[in-house]
Amino acid sequence: MDLHGFGPLLLEGVLVTVEVAVTACAVGLMLGLAGAVAKLSEVAALRWLAEVYTTLFRGLPEFLVVLIVYFAGAAVLTATIGGGTYVDVPPFIAGSLALATTFGAYATEVFRGAIQAIPQGHVEAGLALGLSRRKIFWRLVMPQVMRYALPGLGNLFLVLLKDTALVSMIGVSDLMRQADIARGATRDTFTFYAIAAVMYLTLTAITTAVLARLEQRANRGVRRA
Amino acid sequence: MTASTPATLDVEDIHKSFGGLEVLKGISLTARDGDVISLIGSSGSGKSTFLRCINFLETPDRGTVRLSGEAVQVKSGRKGAAVTDERQLQRLRAKLGFVFQSFNLWPHMTILQNVIEAPMQVKGLSRAEATEMAESLLAKVGIAHKRHEYPSHMSGGQQQRAAIARALAMEPQVILFDEPTSALDPELVVEVLGVMRSLAEEGRTMLIVTHEMGFARDVSSQVVFLHQGRIEEQGAPEQIFKDPTSPRLRQFLASHLH
Repeated sequence: MDLHGFGPLLLEGVLVTVEVAVTACAVGLMLGLAGAVAKLSEVAALRWLAEVYTTLFRGLPEFLVVLIVYFAGAAVLTATIGGGTYVDVPPFIAGSLALATTFGAYATEVFRGAIQAIPQGHVEAGLALGLSRRKIFWRLVMPQVMRYALPGLGNLFLVLLKDTALVSMIGVSDLMRQADIARGATRDTFTFYAIAAVMYLTLTAITTAVLARLEQRANRGVRRA
Repeated sequence: MTASTPATLDVEDIHKSFGGLEVLKGISLTARDGDVISLIGSSGSGKSTFLRCINFLETPDRGTVRLSGEAVQVKSGRKGAAVTDERQLQRLRAKLGFVFQSFNLWPHMTILQNVIEAPMQVKGLSRAEATEMAESLLAKVGIAHKRHEYPSHMSGGQQQRAAIARALAMEPQVILFDEPTSALDPELVVEVLGVMRSLAEEGRTMLIVTHEMGFARDVSSQVVFLHQGRIEEQGAPEQIFKDPTSPRLRQFLASHLH
C-alpha cells in the first residue's frame, strides 16, 4: 500500500483526535457532574439552570454547536480584546469545548440517574458517624456512582470519539482532516478513507477494552449472580 | 453521681410531623451513663422516628436534644426547624453511634475499610491506629476473619455485627439501635443479640428500638412503651412486663409475648 508519504501525518491526526476526545471528555465529565448535582439541588435556580443546559445542548445538532462556539467565540474575542483586528478561538480549544458541552449535557442525565440509584441509607450511615457532606459525597457516594454511571459514560465516550471528526470542519488537524488532505493530494480516495476507518475502529476497540477494565474495578464488592 | 452532672443523653419534648400526620407528640427521655433503654411499641408508634430525631437524621419540629449537657443548635424558620451549626451537629453525631435495621455498610469498601473510615476521616486517626482498633473490634464481634471481605459476601448477621463494630470505632457515648435484628433471618438474630448483650454488660449506654421482648426484658435497665407518638408507659423491665398498668401495653404484650 502506497501512502505517498502521508503516514506520519495520519498518525499525527490520530493523536489530535485522541487529544480532542480526552479533553472534551474530561471537561464534559466535570460539566456533567456539576449538572447532575445542580439538578438534584434543593436550590430551585440551580435546578432550572441545569434544565436549560441539558435541554439546549441535547436539542442542538453537535455540528451546529461546534460552529457556534468557534464563530461566536471569535466574534466575542474580536470585539473585546481584538482592538480592531480579527481574533479567533484556537480551533482545538473551540472544538473540544463544543464537544465537551454536548457531552456534559448527556453526562448530566447519566450522573443524575446514578446518584439517585445510591440508597439513602449509605448517606445516613455517613451522617450518623459525623462525616461531612462533602466527604460523604466524594468518598461514599461517588465511588458507587461510577459503578452505575460507567456503562452510560462509556457509550457517550464512544459517540464522542467519532464526533471529533466534526472539528475537522473548523480546521483542527485531526484524523479525519488529515485523511481528507491526503485523499485530495493523491486522489486515492479509497486508501485514505479506509485507513481512517481502520484507525477509528482501532481507537474504539482500545476504548472498549479500557472501559471493561474500569467496570471491573468499579464493580469490586458487587456480588455477581 | 451528683445531681448537677448532666445526663449522658437528655431528650426533651420532641415533636415531629410528616405532612399533616403528627408522628411524635412530645417525647422526653433521659439516659444516664450505663443505661440500657428499650423502646417498644407497635409499628407506627413513632419509635424509629424518635430514634432518628435524636441524631437528627430527621430534624424534629420542636424539642431539644442534649448530649452531656450540650444542646444541638436549631432555629425555627418558615419551613420548620433547621440545624444552625452543621459542624456542631457533626461533632455530636460522632459521639452518638447509630445501628440501622438495614446495616447500611458501604458496599464498595471491605469490612475493615468500613470500620476505619470514620475514625480516620472524622477523628483524624492514622491508618495504623484505626486499623489496630478496628481489628480488635471486629474480633470482639466475632468476624475478624472477614475483615477483607466485601459486605455482599457476608450473611446479614455478620453484616450487622460489622455495622456495630463500625459504630463502636467512634467510641460513642451512646449507641442508638434501630430495630437491629428486624432484617435478619431468625437463626441470625441470636448472634447479633449476643453482641448487644455483651455491650450492655460492659456498661455502655444504649437506646434500642426492638421487637425482641425477651431481649428487652433481660438486658434493659428501663423499658419505654410508645403508643401513637406518646410515651404510654415506662419503667423497669419487671414492672413493664409483669405488671403493666396501661391496657394498651397489656394488649401489646399479649400479642408480642409467646
